[in-house]
Amino acid sequence: MHALAYWITGPGVYLAVGVFALGLGYRLYQWRRMAASPMRLGIFPKPPPGAKVLRIVADTLAFPQLAEVNPSLWVAAIVFHVALLGVFVGHLHLLGRFPGQLEEMMTANASLVGGTMGVLWALAALYLLIRRFKTPYKEISTPEDYLLLLLILGAVVMGDHLRFFGHVDVGVYQEYIRSLYAFRPELPAALATSSVKWSFVVHILLANLLLIYLPFSKLVHFIGAFFTNGIRRG
Amino acid sequence: MDETTKQKLLDVMKSKLNRQLLYYLDVCAKCGACKDACHIYRATGKAELVPSHRADLLRRLYRRHFTSAGRVFPSLYEATDLSDQLLDEMYQAAFTCTGCRRCMVYCPFGIDLTWVIGVEKAMLSAVGKVPEELNMLADAAIEKGNSIDLYREIMQDQIRSLEPELRELTGMPDATIPMGKKGARVLYVALAGTGSILPPAVIFNLAGEDWTLSEFEAANYGYFLGDTARAARIAERIVNEAKELGVEEVVLTECGHAYRVMKHLDEVWSKQKFPFKVLSVFEPWARYLKEGRVKVLRPIAEPATYHDPCQLGRNGGIYEEPREVVKAICTDFRDMTPNREKNWCCGGGGGLVAQTDLEEFRADTGLVKAEQVRATGARIAATPCENCRLQLALLNERYHLGVEVVAVTDLLVRAVAPGALRKPEQEPRETAREQEASA
Repeated sequence: MHALAYWITGPGVYLAVGVFALGLGYRLYQWRRMAASPMRLGIFPKPPPGAKVLRIVADTLAFPQLAEVNPSLWVAAIVFHVALLGVFVGHLHLLGRFPGQLEEMMTANASLVGGTMGVLWALAALYLLIRRFKTPYKEISTPEDYLLLLLILGAVVMGDHLRFFGHVDVGVYQEYIRSLYAFRPELPAALATSSVKWSFVVHILLANLLLIYLPFSKLVHFIGAFFTNGIRRG
Repeated sequence: MDETTKQKLLDVMKSKLNRQLLYYLDVCAKCGACKDACHIYRATGKAELVPSHRADLLRRLYRRHFTSAGRVFPSLYEATDLSDQLLDEMYQAAFTCTGCRRCMVYCPFGIDLTWVIGVEKAMLSAVGKVPEELNMLADAAIEKGNSIDLYREIMQDQIRSLEPELRELTGMPDATIPMGKKGARVLYVALAGTGSILPPAVIFNLAGEDWTLSEFEAANYGYFLGDTARAARIAERIVNEAKELGVEEVVLTECGHAYRVMKHLDEVWSKQKFPFKVLSVFEPWARYLKEGRVKVLRPIAEPATYHDPCQLGRNGGIYEEPREVVKAICTDFRDMTPNREKNWCCGGGGGLVAQTDLEEFRADTGLVKAEQVRATGARIAATPCENCRLQLALLNERYHLGVEVVAVTDLLVRAVAPGALRKPEQEPRETAREQEASA
């Protein structure tokens, strides 16, 4: 079983990051090589010239229109994405030590919101998943929609497990990341012998799968939404 | 389905794949927010009528034929090949959408599902799977452009017969409806019926405008079919006429899609820059009132509301001028909630009004609109678009709203024409569509 853990947490990570980067690049290339319609297809009224970019950014980050038409979905979506951002920032701490003040801020941030964000993310993902089993969402969903939510939910739950039950020091994770940087991936002893080793391996496996699948899924909306919102305000 | 048809459909689809379409197909998360913005889903609760689902039919084909992930794992995306069944579903999805783009206003990504559905329409058009009524109306319009000489005399007789009433209404013994007047400042484009000719003629005469009436009607059924080639040919008739007459402004009648086609779409379709300005009729109306060229003689006291047609409002950009007109002549103006770009679609757009078999569907799906009109407490519902008026009239009857559905210009004539002393009879005028159908 040691070999499996190695392949998932070592070469698997390189593969995932590689496919993610190349896949996303390819997706962008596919979009941009197509001719854009010369028509201005935005909704009236058009924003004043100076405000256009600001509106596009606000639309993309806060989608206020959704709050008006479906408040519960808006709350779930905002919680989901804010938690994602929080977790993303939290993970940056694992990449290494930050210079000066920043390191202290990262540590403070991790202890303050780290756990909360992980739990909120799981709850929001669960809500979105359960929602898909109800009419009419059931009818308009495809397997892709469930698969993505399951991958996210799985990875997040494993992450939460690591956080609340793992008692593995941040330094150990940093050591693992350093081994990845050095292309000599290995699980530090403290992690390899810990009771949460398999939560960690599954966490990485699901994250890998998510990264690999992302460029070919609807999750490309994390970039595409800026473009589509741009057309609406155009 | 035979291979030739299949290939033809895929070729059309391929020709329509552009950057926008890829964004829309790739980005949609199927979150379903569009369903809450759609009057049709709100009224029916049917999953197959959720806007994103209408577009998903094309997305399945796109996954199957144009993406590697969809080829390798079709079941993940429910990617499907072309079949008669898929085409039937597409037909149902595409030609029961009013194309109002309200879902685009509320979509968290701003996805234009009407654009995606438009591609479905174009594919269906290419294999002749379109509502026969729309098809005939589009062909008739093109045919009229080819043989305008045959129509000209009939039309001129019709126009001359309106002039006695015009003189009575304006109180001007020399009031006329000029046609083919070279060098006129304004070319006014009406609908096929006389209903959109006489009232504007009253206003133009009162304002002393230098105008001439177009020989063609503004409606564009090619546009409803999603057939841009035919839509451009229909619009071309007016463009050529305006160029020949050398007018400064082309003023479109109270018609939603006609304004949008001329103002925002046709220059791109026909790859040219018009040597004239395109205006909605409300722009001169509001200006005449402001400049005092047309005076309000009899303000209207009944509570009045205004319905923003989708194609004129959120898709055309005309919100304020018609409101200015209604407010100038009605002392008790009540805006609908929501209004402007958030206004509910009446349920008649996208050519639905012209499809007689959809009357029940339209009456059912107009529920949201009916409630919205009722909530204003208005007795007059003024709206520019012919489709909207026909639909609102249907809803008025079906839901006992007790309003008078009226064109804004008709209302204006009532308030400003010296000869319009008594309220015109409530008999509905022959509608443009009926005229076209009988032509």
